[in-house]
Amino acid sequence: MSDIEIVESLKRDLGEKALELTNPDRRRVFLKVAAPELVPTVTLLRDHYDSTHLSTISGVDKGETFELLYHFASLAASITVRTEIPRAEPRIASICAVIPGAVLYEREIQEMFGVTVEGVPDGRRLNLPDDWPDGQYPLRKDWKHVRPEEVIPGGKS
Amino acid sequence: MSFQIPIGPQHPALKEPISLRMTVDGEVITDADIRLGYNHRGLEKLAEEKTWVQNIYLTERICGICSHSHATCYVQAVEKLMEIMPPRRGLYIRYLVSELERVHSHLLWLGVAGHEAGFDSFFMYTWRDREIVMDLLEMISGNRVHYAMNTIGGVRRDIDEGQKAKILEGVVTLRKRSEYYFGIGANEPSFVARIAGVGMLTKQQAIDLCAVGPVARASGVARDVRKEDPYAVYDELDFNVCTSDSCDVLGRVVVRVMELLQSYNMIEQMVKGLPDGDIVVKAPRKAKPGEALSRYEAPRGENVHYIKSNGTDKPERLKVRAPTLGNYPATMVMLKKGFIADIPLIFAAIDPCICCAERAVTLISARSGEESVVTMSDLRRQALDRSKNTPVKGKSVWPF
Repeated sequence: MSDIEIVESLKRDLGEKALELTNPDRRRVFLKVAAPELVPTVTLLRDHYDSTHLSTISGVDKGETFELLYHFASLAASITVRTEIPRAEPRIASICAVIPGAVLYEREIQEMFGVTVEGVPDGRRLNLPDDWPDGQYPLRKDWKHVRPEEVIPGGKS
Repeated sequence: MSFQIPIGPQHPALKEPISLRMTVDGEVITDADIRLGYNHRGLEKLAEEKTWVQNIYLTERICGICSHSHATCYVQAVEKLMEIMPPRRGLYIRYLVSELERVHSHLLWLGVAGHEAGFDSFFMYTWRDREIVMDLLEMISGNRVHYAMNTIGGVRRDIDEGQKAKILEGVVTLRKRSEYYFGIGANEPSFVARIAGVGMLTKQQAIDLCAVGPVARASGVARDVRKEDPYAVYDELDFNVCTSDSCDVLGRVVVRVMELLQSYNMIEQMVKGLPDGDIVVKAPRKAKPGEALSRYEAPRGENVHYIKSNGTDKPERLKVRAPTLGNYPATMVMLKKGFIADIPLIFAAIDPCICCAERAVTLISARSGEESVVTMSDLRRQALDRSKNTPVKGKSVWPF
């Protein structure tokens, strides 16, 4: 399937649900859906577009909203599903039931952006230390790293 | 009764600081758990404060083995954002270094696999040969680890006729020896007996858990970014995707050796067909607002960089997904139902990246199953206290 065929076919299958459908580059398709439509869209891609491989999930802090990008790969093209969730209520459904390999990426999104992934099979932290304070989400734009003051035992000489 | 065995973050069998928790029933692993973050450096956050050019050198330092992979994946995306196309000679040199890097990484891994399987002469042989390709890389780039070849719009160093001849000469030697290793890897009875049937991952599991690179290919999934998403020069080169259906560590050895032979072919094709012309074009300082998704087949599998730009000279967001992270869910499946003695072998078979980190020891009381974490200095103090109070101190006599 060529890029144009994929775009046309996605338009047919999703209709109104596809809020935005672009093909900026060779073999790259970007599709935007509303957050509640995410899991059905991912299921559709897996079953009918051979996109069984989830490369990763990227998160972007856009101020009022968080943008989540699910990068899928298939032999034909890399389809990215994009969805936006409000910063005030950051919640998204887990896609682990459809793509079991998504669990580590969802845990990463959860701790780095403070997005609650509902239904993730394992909600523990992935990268951050166990004593990391609650409510600190490093990849949000308003989070700044403050280097703790250096304590030299016995003082500086 | 089941026990939990902690392996790592610091453990002689692991080359990377990672914490694995094995629940065992006798010798058999019933459950495996993983804890990451011992080497987390906050690189994605840092990248948002650096310029496009500074980030080349930052991404190169994500990994010490596949340093060129991350830098290349990053510049591929930036070149798309800046809408520039590197000259063909520049691209050929860039991907020539990529393939040489794959050769050095696979040879390194073969040695580690031999070492973990208790076949140390294999380790010595492959690492001796790895020096050939390391010398070639040093000759081309001036460095053995971080080649610093990439820049936005091309590469930083050209290669001349003498260097081309040396590369071809080195590849001839390497091919001869790799064929010999292929014979060993697939036929030597004791080595095969040690690695066959260890760390099984079925084809369906590899697909479901999104495994990448040689791990997926050893389970019969022909997933190779160079073939499925032929970036830059790969649609002009003649090569095959190597797969194996044995789904175990043996398959991963075979796939990597076969890939070595494919890489030698590609290196020869690129050196012989090296086009004339410039190696770099001038790049603008800023990129237009936009986004780019870049995929690259690193020695360990698919490497993904997603970059969003906002019109300034710094990225809005740089997302990096290294291949090892993609293989962790599959590793957990491989470890289950295996033996404790196979843990280093299975874990090494996904070729995790080598790093270094902090020190902490978890002690588990064998009777109660209770855990306590002590720092290295505490442990050392306890040991000193103990030796101070031992009655034989100062009275022991040298027996001879």
